[in-house]
Amino acid sequence: MIKVRAALAAASLLLLAACGGGGGGDASGDGPTTVKVSVIPIVDVAPIYLGNQQGFFTEQGLRLQIETAQGGAAIVPAVVSGQVDFGFSNLTSLILGASKGIPLKVVAPGAGSTGVQRKDFGGVLVKAGSPIRTAKDLAGKRVAVNTLNNINDTTVRASIRAAGGDPKSVKFTELAFPDMLAALDKGNVDAVQVVEPFLATGLKNGARLVASNYVDTAPNLTIAGYFTSQKTVASKPELVKKFTAAMQKSLKYASDHPDAVRKVLGTYTKIDPSVAGSLTLPTYPAQVNAAGLQTLANLAVQDGLVKSAPDLKNLQP
Amino acid sequence: MTAAVTADPAGRDRDGRRRPAVPSWALGIAGLAGLMALAELVPRAGLVRERYLPPFSDMVSALADQAGTDAFWRALLETLRGWAIGLAIAMAAGVVLGIVIGGVPPLRAALTSTIEFLRPIPSVALIPLAVLLYGTQMRSTLLLVVYASFWQVLMQVLYGVQDVDPVARETARSYRFRPLTQVRTVIWPTALPYVMTGFRLGAAVALILEITGELVIGSPGLGRQIAVAQNSNAVPSMYALVIVVGLIGMLVNAAARAVERRALRWHPSVRREVVS
Amino acid sequence: MSVLPVLRRIVLLLAVPVLLVAAWWAATANSTDFFWPPLSDILGTFDDTWFHGRITSDVLPSLARLLAGYSLALLLGVGLGTAIGSARVLRALLEPSLEFFRAIPSPVLVPILMLFAGIGNGMKVLVIVSGCVWPVLLNTVEGVRALDEVLRDTARCYRMRPHSRFVHLVLRGASPQIAAGARQALSIGIILMVISEMFAASNGLGFTIIQFQRSFSVPQMWTGIILLGLIGIALSVVFQTVEARVLSWYTGLRRSQREG
Repeated sequence: MIKVRAALAAASLLLLAACGGGGGGDASGDGPTTVKVSVIPIVDVAPIYLGNQQGFFTEQGLRLQIETAQGGAAIVPAVVSGQVDFGFSNLTSLILGASKGIPLKVVAPGAGSTGVQRKDFGGVLVKAGSPIRTAKDLAGKRVAVNTLNNINDTTVRASIRAAGGDPKSVKFTELAFPDMLAALDKGNVDAVQVVEPFLATGLKNGARLVASNYVDTAPNLTIAGYFTSQKTVASKPELVKKFTAAMQKSLKYASDHPDAVRKVLGTYTKIDPSVAGSLTLPTYPAQVNAAGLQTLANLAVQDGLVKSAPDLKNLQP
Repeated sequence: MTAAVTADPAGRDRDGRRRPAVPSWALGIAGLAGLMALAELVPRAGLVRERYLPPFSDMVSALADQAGTDAFWRALLETLRGWAIGLAIAMAAGVVLGIVIGGVPPLRAALTSTIEFLRPIPSVALIPLAVLLYGTQMRSTLLLVVYASFWQVLMQVLYGVQDVDPVARETARSYRFRPLTQVRTVIWPTALPYVMTGFRLGAAVALILEITGELVIGSPGLGRQIAVAQNSNAVPSMYALVIVVGLIGMLVNAAARAVERRALRWHPSVRREVVS
Repeated sequence: MSVLPVLRRIVLLLAVPVLLVAAWWAATANSTDFFWPPLSDILGTFDDTWFHGRITSDVLPSLARLLAGYSLALLLGVGLGTAIGSARVLRALLEPSLEFFRAIPSPVLVPILMLFAGIGNGMKVLVIVSGCVWPVLLNTVEGVRALDEVLRDTARCYRMRPHSRFVHLVLRGASPQIAAGARQALSIGIILMVISEMFAASNGLGFTIIQFQRSFSVPQMWTGIILLGLIGIALSVVFQTVEARVLSWYTGLRRSQREG
């Protein structure tokens, strides 16, 4: 019965698609303004989905159109070229962009570390019987991160430094989050830096946490944020103001209603409900932690990601 | 289904060779059944962790779950639509340009170096460019699809035009056939098997790039669903979607073969004698 | 007498590329768009980007993996293709399964390959093989199937030994088709070389381009795309030289028909 209905839905969609052609034309007028946001479908962006559900964007006269992308590499150009109005990215990527002279501006925080050792939404895992006990022992080992020369390897290096180890001798390998636990199991790498839901899954399967790299980097580190181009800031200040206001309200709501966050995960991810119920959520801070941002910029310089830190004043909200 | 045998271009069956008792469709199904059994047994036997490569039965039940959701069917349609549009553009452009370039030797000589330069540029390297132009919409994936499958078609057409029987060509020329007539009567019949191979290869490449684009860029379709499943650690769902992609590929190929058989039914075997 | 044709060839070879490059140069000369830097900027960073260590640390490892994967794919494709093309039962048995695997995009296949082959060079070579093998296989099957019946029967009548029948009749007869497949496999191989380096890589040409893209080093990224194109041309020239030698009998046959 369900299948029949699904097939019917599919057929009607086909018709719609055939009639719609290019589709998505902005029906501008007195109605709500369409605002396009490009995000990565992960736990971090739950507030925007939740806020949309709660009508916080409609309140501001915005019709939210969320597009998903697979990474910041696709989002930044889309924002700069005006394909989308806002994007979601980790802050190190934005620091990299700003240091190359791309005019970006963070308009709202996205997600942050819980700031609690061993209870963060990201961390470094090793195999159950591994001789690695602390971040210091990672020196000279093979560690997988999802993207090289970005927030995760710089923060793992910060962890090792904090524990008194030598971060230079770590051999980082790039591996997508979904492939990490299997590679760890097989012994292809000695440690993996993962985030939820892979952290909870890994721990459940017997892996051991040796470092909370975001916590080791800076207190209450903001990991990611929503950003736009300076051009949009200058040309559509009203839109930016409204989006920021709706985003703030969404973040606040997400902070106050963790159960609603866990529930909304099921609408845009395929995370198993039992895992969604138990994973560690990031915090959804009200503002970007300025000290943490400065630390990330310093780390980017220290680890050779950029030659010199960009002027963070232009980047910050 | 024995049509596959009788339509063998070399016409081997007509030569009175004994027809085996088992029809080819049954053998194909047997081959697939063997593959399924393998996919069930490898994880069950502990050769890989079930957690990372679940047994086939788990994938099937995840597939059944998927089939009950609207999102799945919508994604399927989006993928098919992107694939069909991309392939159509690539076919049209590849065949027309291939015949024009291949049929005019000076043009071919002038363009060879450019074609050889553009062709190997990996379509994945164009992702930033595609995103820049079209964001994460369907069109950025379409660009990759067209780019990748166009070369497949074009190269086959060029090979096909090159394979035209020189005698036939000279004859047509000495009889002063008009260019279009030459294309229709001399070039097209010879190039057609190559065009069909190009169509089949292009169809496969287009599907691969459609999925890859959706996966990497995040434009709507099955590829994006796979990415979401991966990022959610929903392993059986991920494999279920991969199976769907493989099945679409099989159907696409079967369809391409059917078209090929129809198109080549009249095809004279003259060319083959020349080749060998 | 011999200078003119050579000159003509060179002009033919370079005219269109030079025009296109000139057009690109002119179109971007005053570009301020971050993602479309002027061509002069791109060329200016070329030397710095590639000729100070990256050739040996990134380009050569990539090419070595490509060569390994491509050769393996050729062996596998021609071997399997000959077997499948000559035996109807085998073809019927394997075709649907092969079609299934062919339709699965490499980026999706990579995690599965990793489960069996780890994350080292072996996995990357396998990724290249997994994509390159199809055009070779398909074309070999078609080529073998289309072999002239008369030749086949003649070979049988003269009781040619299986080995020489394979080399002289099957391989030779199918070689124009195999060459077409091998040529396509080459360009697919370059694509897969890049894709394979998107996963679990720490060096390589594709890896470097993606790093440039992620760190917004746009001119450097463009130089990478250009370098990939140049490598593609170089490989294609090598391929044509080899093809011309191996298929000289075929082109000769063609020419004699043309002249006759």
